[in-house]
Formats: sequence, structure tokens, C-alpha cells
Amino acid sequence: MSAAERPDRVDFLDKVTGRAAFISDLDVPGMVHGKVLRSTMPHARITGIDIDAALSMPGVIGIVTGSDLGGIDPIWGVSLKDRPLIAIDRVRYVGEPVAVVVAETEALAEEALDAVMVDYDPLPYVTEAAEALAPNAPLIHDGVQPLKDFYFKGEAKPVAGTNIFQTYAYETGDVDAAFASADRVFEDSFDFPMVYHYAMEPHCGIASFGDDGLTVWSCGQAPTAVQKVLSRIFDLPIARVRVITPLIGGGFGGKASVKIDPLVATVAWKIGRPVRICFSASESMLTARRLSATVNLKTAVSADGMLQAKSVEVLMNGGAYADTGPAVAIKAAIRAIGPYKIPNLRLRSTAVYTNTVPGAAFRSIGGPQGVWATESQMDIIADALGIDPVELRYRNMLKRGEHVRPDLTPIDVDMAEAMGLASQAMSRLDAQEPHRRIVHGTALGIADPANSPVAGVLLRLKIDGSIAVISSSIEVGQGIREVLCRVAAEQLGQPVAAVSALTPDTAIAPFDWGTGASRSSLMMALAIEDAAADIKAQIGDIAASTLGLDPARIELVAGGFTADDKRYSFADLLHPYFGIDSGELIGIGRISPRSRGGALAKAPLFWETAAGRCGITLDEDTGEIAVKRYVSVADIGRAINRTGAEGQDEGAAIMGLGHALFEELIYADGQPVNGTMIDYHVPTIDDVPAQFETVLIENGGGPGPGGMRGMGEGAILPIAPAIANALATGFGIRVKQLPLTPERVWRALQDKKDR
Amino acid sequence: MADLASLDISFTLNGAPQTHSVAPFALLIDFLRDDLALKGTKRSCDVQVCGACTVLVDGLPVSSCTSLAADIDGKSVVTIEGLAEHGKLSPVQQAFVDHAAMQCGFCTPGMVLATTALLERHPHPTEQEIRHYLRGNICRCTGYIKILEAVKSLV
Repeated sequence: MSAAERPDRVDFLDKVTGRAAFISDLDVPGMVHGKVLRSTMPHARITGIDIDAALSMPGVIGIVTGSDLGGIDPIWGVSLKDRPLIAIDRVRYVGEPVAVVVAETEALAEEALDAVMVDYDPLPYVTEAAEALAPNAPLIHDGVQPLKDFYFKGEAKPVAGTNIFQTYAYETGDVDAAFASADRVFEDSFDFPMVYHYAMEPHCGIASFGDDGLTVWSCGQAPTAVQKVLSRIFDLPIARVRVITPLIGGGFGGKASVKIDPLVATVAWKIGRPVRICFSASESMLTARRLSATVNLKTAVSADGMLQAKSVEVLMNGGAYADTGPAVAIKAAIRAIGPYKIPNLRLRSTAVYTNTVPGAAFRSIGGPQGVWATESQMDIIADALGIDPVELRYRNMLKRGEHVRPDLTPIDVDMAEAMGLASQAMSRLDAQEPHRRIVHGTALGIADPANSPVAGVLLRLKIDGSIAVISSSIEVGQGIREVLCRVAAEQLGQPVAAVSALTPDTAIAPFDWGTGASRSSLMMALAIEDAAADIKAQIGDIAASTLGLDPARIELVAGGFTADDKRYSFADLLHPYFGIDSGELIGIGRISPRSRGGALAKAPLFWETAAGRCGITLDEDTGEIAVKRYVSVADIGRAINRTGAEGQDEGAAIMGLGHALFEELIYADGQPVNGTMIDYHVPTIDDVPAQFETVLIENGGGPGPGGMRGMGEGAILPIAPAIANALATGFGIRVKQLPLTPERVWRALQDKKDR
Repeated sequence: MADLASLDISFTLNGAPQTHSVAPFALLIDFLRDDLALKGTKRSCDVQVCGACTVLVDGLPVSSCTSLAADIDGKSVVTIEGLAEHGKLSPVQQAFVDHAAMQCGFCTPGMVLATTALLERHPHPTEQEIRHYLRGNICRCTGYIKILEAVKSLV
């Protein structure tokens, strides 16, 4: 295929023709199907499970329950060891797996589900974080064990005898003194609801045990974490757990860390055949969600609007099992600081268990929760002091190289530039379509990605000049395979059409921490740099020993290299070296905190930032907000795939629009009341602002090749507070709870009239 | 079980006449995916709200997750596998590729087929018509911006 015919991404042709295979499209020989019976109770003892009737139904092969786990470790986790493979004697949320019926077909398994009878003895339950903190709250876990450095570096700090599974505190400066002497102190509380990832592909997995160990076709974003957890559960050597990750139909964190693979593998282990379990979309809603949060802010400000001290107090609802909630709780507090110079800073965060769907990572963990609070309050302060909100931000803005927090890497972008570009772009949009009732709002977001600098890649340069990139970075829609191809092509001086990126498979791919936290493009680009250097060194050595060339004079060109004005193909090098006209060179790139002289160990490795500016109208009779125009700005250092980077930014912003306007997983009486695709609304094409502009700044300055940094999460941060700020500016109402539903906005309008 | 009460149906699939026996309760999505191994039709919401399973029946977009296979008797069905001819992408497919109007690709078959149906009916849709026609197809990755660009490029 000529370069002109090559699509923008290596995976587009398969995807647009229906050839692309996702896990649910795979067929493993001998595979049978599992369906999950889920708890209908928020918190209960299981007093009996009657499977006899179901076992005798047509096509049913077996049924797995919590009493079948002898011989394996039935409790797992990634931050805290708190989660049973399948409910054991007790359920902790509506939707928790209680039994899995395995049958020859999915339909037969589903039919038999109804015949499994579970008796429950209800226990007191709690679904709200504040209630879970109460002294008399029902205890959801009897005791949990933190897993130090297991997935994230560090460990959670639960409080024994309570529902608290994480506590975090940070302080710098003299916060109390600053509050005591401040001209003004602002105290506000903001709420952010549970929201669901809603990847289009529901969770699905296939597991198979054999002589070579356990093989799993996983939708997990972190194959090596899946591998590690499975190896612990089944006491298998890590090398005998193989995780293959085909194309994934969206994740957004909902498939991060480890989700359904332990259950799928347990059922395959018990049944003794390959088992496929594909959740329905509604079941996926009962699998993971964003942690809801209450964020209390207390901010001291001088009369001229200079921030003097800030106290951030976060309470997060982590659901029935901690998953990566402990990390989310820390990040929510840090990401509530904002890109501002604040000399005195106090951060406190607490995350609690409740009888709800487990909270988990979601695009920019903790970010939208923290930014929602802080950026709303910035406008509250501006309004109270009579300062333009953009001007207030300029006055307090950190310059590139200044510290968000003394112990964190200084901010590596110019946020003033980003905010300025957002305003300029919005002015252009306004001029294109003048509309006198448009009201504007601005917000900024900064996040410190948990980049975990542990990664690896293999480059295999074949004798014909084709190149295979082997990594554990999964293709979840973000376009990593294209990035791998482009970076490998660039580093080896080869045409990108010569490069392919293979399906991640832990049996052959080097260890990588996982795909998330805006890290993969950056980490893999760094690893590819090293792997390409390795290959170049090998070419130099072989050229010297076999062809008598001076390695210093070798320059890679498409299909081979030149030395002393003479062109050589890779076959000209490898044929004499191997003696046959076949073979390859393998380059290894490994990234650790010690790579690049320790430079990759700094935290964060880069700042992921965003500026957003919206133009909205409001129907004051109904409370319905229409976001007419939106500008999203980010400095990503350098784009590897510009169109792909824009797509990531656009997708994140519109996902944030859903958080802002509609999305909320609602509980009543311990039950999720809108836990179906019909009841839970996400943005459709009809909700997209008529004018939308993404401005990607490529100022370099990032830690990757050409100054790139990670991206793809930032744009989700500012959109909700930007809209709320526009509401306050234009209509005098300050809504401190998301989502900004018509009812909530309408009530705020009525309250204002009543005042 | 299916043998006792199966229905014979004749239809055109991606241009080729076909005859099959189906259970009266078989869903079109299962028939396409499991019996005919056409896996490009994607299952997501199961309740006709997301559009991932969209196929064209007599040129109209239909959610195969909530349609009976038996109901395609005598009709013409087009799935995502039927759009490209001899390896050449259809204009809609090509526009989606050219505008990077997909990311994870799970909604793409349905989105492409819904767009195909839109342009058959309304070769020159307004932006409002595009939005109206495609709002039954959810995409979580792209934010729809590049999908809108792709569709508008065909108008």
C-alpha cells in the first residue's frame, strides 16, 4: 500500500469493514458460556443457594458459587485484598456475582439463571459516604489487608473498625495562620455523583486452563496486573498465566486494573473447559463506576484576589470493594489544587466502603471531582470580589516551572497561554455566529498522571525491512497501535507502512504497567527509543564485523542503511551474517525509574492540563442548558498523530459534557434505580455543541521524543465547572451539585426568584 | 427445540439470496453473529438505545438486538460486511476513515450503516437532519465531532 493510500491509523480498515475482532467475536475450541446471577440485595448473608433445578436444565454444564473455591485463594484486590472471586456467604452490593451458570450456549445459561434460588438474610446497608462514616454505620468489611506496591506504588491507609479504606493528608505552609489573617475566606461544598464509564463494548472474557497454564482473552487495560492477580489466585507461576488482549471496545478506566478476569478464570477452573463470559451492558454498569465525591473547599483570599491558603477536604464513596479507589482519593485532593500559586495548602481525603457498585479508575482519576469544586469556587471568589473570573485566574496562575506543590514536579506548561487561546478561539466562534444570549464560562484543569515508569517493548526488524512492535499496550480506541508504528518508524528511519503493532500477549510482550493515566504513548515512545538504539547498535556491530564498515558512518534509510555513500538493504547485512537469506534483529527497550539517569522517576513525569471555555444558553422556563459552543485547549508537547490526538481531546470533552449535564447513577433503598442503558443517558450526537474547537498546543517540553507528553484525559476536567460558571455569570445561580439537570437548574432559578 | 418449530426464511443478505431455518424466537443479531458468523454486527445495550447492532433492512436502519430473524423473510438485509465491494470501501466507509471518525470501533459498523441509510434517504441532509438521524447511535470515544465532519463531507 502506498503512503497516500495508508489510512490515518493501522486499525481503521478492520474497524470500518466489520473485520475487527473484539473478545465477544472470538471462538475458542471447546468453549462454553457462563452467565452471572447477581445479588438483588445491597447487603445480606447468603443462607442458601439451591442449584439443583438449574443443573438439570437443558444444556447446563455446571454452576459455580462461593462454596466452590477450595484450593484457590478466594480473596483478591489491587489496592486492598478485600474482594471475593464470587460472593462467599455474604453480598455487599446489588449486582455482586453470586453464582455463574455455565451452559452450552449463552441463551441456555441465561434461561437456567432463573432456576437458581438464593436465600438471603438482609443486613443493614449504607449507600451514602457520609452515612458510612457514622459511628453506628454497618461495617461492610470485617478487616482488609493493604497490598503494598502491588499495582500502584505505596499502600492504602484503611482505618480498622470503620468503613474507611483510605485516608490521605498533606500540608504545607501555615494554613491556619493564613486563614486567621486573610481578608476573605470562602467555604463551599461541592458534590460530584457516581457516573458510569459506558464503554460501548460490555466487559467480556474467555479463560482456558491447559498443560501450558492459564490463558485468558481479557478486556483488561492492564494485562500484567490481570496476570499477576490470576497467578496469586491460582498459585500459578506468572510465566504460566498468559493474557491476550484483542481490540477493546472502549474502557475509560472501566476496564483498568483488574475487573472480570478473576471471575471468568475461576469458572473455567471449576468447570474444566474454556469458558466465555460476556456481560450485558447493564451488568457492566454493575461492575465499576467513578467514585462520587463531596469536596469541601476553604480558601483564603486577599482583597485583590490573591489566593493565600486553601484547604481541600474530599470524601469519596468507594463502593463495596476498593479496587483503585485509594489512588483516586489521593488524586482527587491533588487535582483540586488547580494551576495556582497557593503558599499554604492542606489536603485531606477519605474514601469509604458503601453498599454500592465498586468505585474505580475513570478517565483522569479523581480529576473531574476535584476540578469541579475548585474551578467553581474560583468563579465564586471572582464574583464576590468583583474581579473578572479570567483575570482572577491570571493573577494567581503558576508560571511554567513554578510548583503546584513543593514536593511535586513544577508545572511544565504555560497555562496562561492555554487560557488565552481558549478565549481567543471562543471570540472567533462568537464572531462566526453572533448570538446575543450566549453566556460564557471558563475553567482550567491540571492533573498529575500516575505514570508508573515501568514499561518495555520489543522491536523485531525482519530481513525484508518489515518491523513488528511487540508491547503490552492495549488498543482501546486511543490509537496506540498507530502511535507505536509511527514512533518505531521514526526512530528507525523506516516508512511507517513497514511497521505493524502486534496484539498484546503477555507470553511474548515485555512487562508494562498498563494502559491508562495518559501514559502509554509516552512510555512506549521512550521504550521504543531505547529498543531502536539497541537495533542500531546491533546493525553497527554486524556491519563492522561482517561488512567491514565503520559503525559511526552508518545512517538508516528506508529499507536499509547507507555507509560511505553506498546503500545497503537489511538483507545485504543479515544474509552474510546469518549465512542464509533469513533472520531478524530484535531490539529491547526497557523503562524503569532508573532510566534516563533517573529522570523518569520524578512525579509527575508531566502535567496533563486543559483549558475550557463554553458558550451556553438557558431555557429559563425548563432549566435546560444548551451548550452552543465549546473550546478545549491543551498543551500536549508534541502530537505523534495529530488527528488522533484531536479525537482524544474531543472525546474527553464530550464525555465531560455528559458528566456536566446528565449523568448520575442514582441509588434508592439500596438499589441502583437507573442502572440500565435506557435510564442512564450519555451524550448523543444531538448533544454536541454546534461549534466545537480543539486547540492543541505543541510547545514541546514533555519527557518523550520531540518533547511529547501524554494526553487524552485532560479535556474531561474543565467542561462541567465552565458550564456552571456560565450559569452563575449569566443567570445568577450557583449550582454546586452535578449533574446540571434541568430540574436542578430550574429549582435554583426558583430559589433565586424567592430570595 | 428449534427443529420442532423452526421457520424457513428467504432473504437477500448483502446482495446474495439466502434460505435458512430459524427459531421463531431467534433474534436477528444472534442469527447474524452465531449462525452466519457475521461478527461485524455488535452487541451492546440489548434494548435498542445504542445503535451498535444496527443493520439495514430494506434500506432502513434496524436494531438487530430487538428484531426477530424471522421478520427478515422476503427482505433485503445489509450488514457492515456488505458495504465494501471487491475490497473498495463504500463512500461512507471511506469518509469515516478519511476523517478519523472512529476510535475503539465498536460503534462504527452501526454508525456507518445508519449514515448509509441517512444518505440514501436524504442525500443532502442539513446538520439538524444528521443529528436527528444519528442520535440513536451512541459513540463514547469520538465525542461525535469527527463523525459529524465525515458525514458532512459526503453531503
